[in-house]
Amino acid sequence: MGEGRKIWRCARCDRELVAKKTIFTYMGLTLAHEVEACPGCGKVFVSREMAEGKMAETEQQLEDK
Amino acid sequence: MKPEDARQHTDRCFRGEPATCSFACPFRMDIRSFLDRVARGRWPAAYRVLRDAVIFPVVVSALCDQPCRSACQRTLLGDEALEIRELEVACLRNVKERKPERYVIPPKKERVAVVGAGPSGLSCALALAQKRFGVTVLEREKGWGGRLLEHPRFTEFDEDIGLQFSALEVEFRFGTVVSDLAQLSEFDAVYIATGAGGNAFGLEASWDDQLYSTEQPRVFLGGELCGSSVMEALAAGREASLSIEVFLQTGKAAATFGRFPREYRGHILPHEGVPPAPAVRPADPSGYSGEEARAEAARCMQCDCNICMEACEMLRLFRKDPHKIAVEVYTDTHVNAPFSSHTITRQVYSCNVCGYCGGVCPVGVDIGPLMQLSRRVRLSAGVHPAALHDFWLREMDFAVSEGAFSSPPAGQEACAYAFYPGCQLGASNPGHVLRSWDFLAARHDAGVMLGCCGAPAYWAGDEERLRANIEGIRRTWAGMGRPVLVCACATCRTVLAGFLPEIRTVSLYELLADAEEVRPVRRWPEAAVFDPCAARGGDRMEAAVRALVSRSGTVCVEPGEKNRCCGHGGHIYLANPGLYGEIVQNRTEADPRPYVVYCANCREVFASQGKECAHILDLAFDLPARDPVPGLDEKRANILAVKKELMKKMTGADFEPEAREWDALTLVIDEALRRNLDRKLISGNDIKEAIWRAESAGDKFLDPETGASLCSMVKEVITYWVEYRGSGAGAYEILDAYSHRMRFGREE
Repeated sequence: MGEGRKIWRCARCDRELVAKKTIFTYMGLTLAHEVEACPGCGKVFVSREMAEGKMAETEQQLEDK
Repeated sequence: MKPEDARQHTDRCFRGEPATCSFACPFRMDIRSFLDRVARGRWPAAYRVLRDAVIFPVVVSALCDQPCRSACQRTLLGDEALEIRELEVACLRNVKERKPERYVIPPKKERVAVVGAGPSGLSCALALAQKRFGVTVLEREKGWGGRLLEHPRFTEFDEDIGLQFSALEVEFRFGTVVSDLAQLSEFDAVYIATGAGGNAFGLEASWDDQLYSTEQPRVFLGGELCGSSVMEALAAGREASLSIEVFLQTGKAAATFGRFPREYRGHILPHEGVPPAPAVRPADPSGYSGEEARAEAARCMQCDCNICMEACEMLRLFRKDPHKIAVEVYTDTHVNAPFSSHTITRQVYSCNVCGYCGGVCPVGVDIGPLMQLSRRVRLSAGVHPAALHDFWLREMDFAVSEGAFSSPPAGQEACAYAFYPGCQLGASNPGHVLRSWDFLAARHDAGVMLGCCGAPAYWAGDEERLRANIEGIRRTWAGMGRPVLVCACATCRTVLAGFLPEIRTVSLYELLADAEEVRPVRRWPEAAVFDPCAARGGDRMEAAVRALVSRSGTVCVEPGEKNRCCGHGGHIYLANPGLYGEIVQNRTEADPRPYVVYCANCREVFASQGKECAHILDLAFDLPARDPVPGLDEKRANILAVKKELMKKMTGADFEPEAREWDALTLVIDEALRRNLDRKLISGNDIKEAIWRAESAGDKFLDPETGASLCSMVKEVITYWVEYRGSGAGAYEILDAYSHRMRFGREE
């Protein structure tokens, strides 16, 4: 529902986000995935598309285990 | 229930047990399977079922007097029984390949003598030879057959017997008379099947008709010698072979596992809605054609109980019968590594725990307790999907902390009654609680107990939280002089009855119905009462609601199915949104008339579907038809408003809700977005908190071009994201919000 594609910058570091391998954990399992994050402080960005798409799908699969 | 009791829980369920016809069959043939395969034209598979059961299919299809037909449940519907024997004949005619199986197992060293090559001796010899025992058949006559020799179709029978033995190693000693068992001392076991009037070697008095054993441990008797018919003798030979096998393995004849159940558990199925089906007559008098046989076999109703699996959307979706569910629940509880063989997780959290299955089950097996067991075990082992119940647990925590308030009437230490509205009634409509309390206070010595019974913790399997809440209720109740609790919610009553049996409860609706001066308004000419699932067995409460509806002048229509869950029960909404939607739709469309409900959750579910409905309290107190469903924030505000008003009335004190830093923020949010976020269970309160935290710490993302900000907040097991834009002092326009359950680490 946002207004088109946004170019996010980390507010604290004032830097553009870069792709970064990030650890995700759920239901006791750990997965690694490349997502955008601040190159300075490492703050991770998760888009709605990812949260409600791929992540939701993976969450379901892990819950079913 | 403990994990080890799980499988016992479904003991009474007779799903999967042989049908009445199989009980009548001397061979205990799985007639259902046979007919199913014939109906589908799967002749080789049908033949295997037939041959494996009756041993000599040509003999049996010619001679069996079909006791199965008198047990066929088709006859209960006024139809003729299935023509089983004709279908067996058709099967033999249609199957192309009748070669017997070859058993690739190593030969065993034990040797068995079978005395007599009649039906019983032959079937015993065949069964033992298939297991690769060394079998020697001793027969007085020059060939096999016994009494079958007299039959005009013996040539066909002879061929059938030859065919079945053709793949086996069995030694036949024809023309051999056994007059003394000492002749057979070289054998490890002996089966005596010398036919009607034959030699029993003096063992008939010690014969065990279940195990076929005698006082001589290695000697067994059976068949026509013991008074059986030819069919029974054939069946007995194979049954005796099982006892002999156990004897050879263990040194003692004993019943084996996996035997056919001794007795039919007496459940004739209702077969509701099954259309009549007259028997198919063969065009050619010599027997059925393949097509005719298929049509005749298709008349079989496959008598097996699947009532619960048809009645419940959840059981229908997962297609597991109660026994399978019990086994999986049991095995799941024994695996607690996160990467486990869990096979039933989604189903466990998809159950409304409404008890409907137990209500329709002929023997009352309720699946809900199994699912609850699994939820408890998973939670205590820490392998539960916490996100599925987190929202409701947080709402419960709110209701029992900030939302809780208990007091006897003003100026009293104790009271005879206390109104126990439950957490949802006031959240959904404060008027329901406040008007009900006015009614009670005017007639009874009534205080109030606002809180939550703990149903969310119960449904989540969170025993610790449930116990703590129950103890809290017990203490408060004792402190108020042990009043009778006046319940408005059937679920509260069920939880209280289960965990606090010492507390007496009465339904608010009974008290309303007893008060003649309560005159409910007539909103519709007729309406259907939708009884909540938790009201099952609460006959007086159900009668009271009906009395109130009737008193309003509305014709009270009985629902087709009573005490079905509206969808809310068990909090399955997050675990299985698709199933939840299906259930809600089915209940909404179950009756075209408006619904009168007496559960706040039922009302919200139907109102959110646009279904015309009213809570019985709306009618009793003539409350205006409200907004369909309050939003998440409005519900919490309603809970606090009810508390504030009742606290003022009872203690004179002004309740000021605990203020948090983010309460002062103002959200500007589009109505469509707000509803969407409510559906995703993202509350304005969580959004405010996330923004406040992000703004305070400067911890967020920015899009300089649009001026939008994006922040995230981890709360319990959920991570929330909010996209927003400043909109004046302390005000924020919400552009979007979403959440996920996974946690992320900062970087590798």
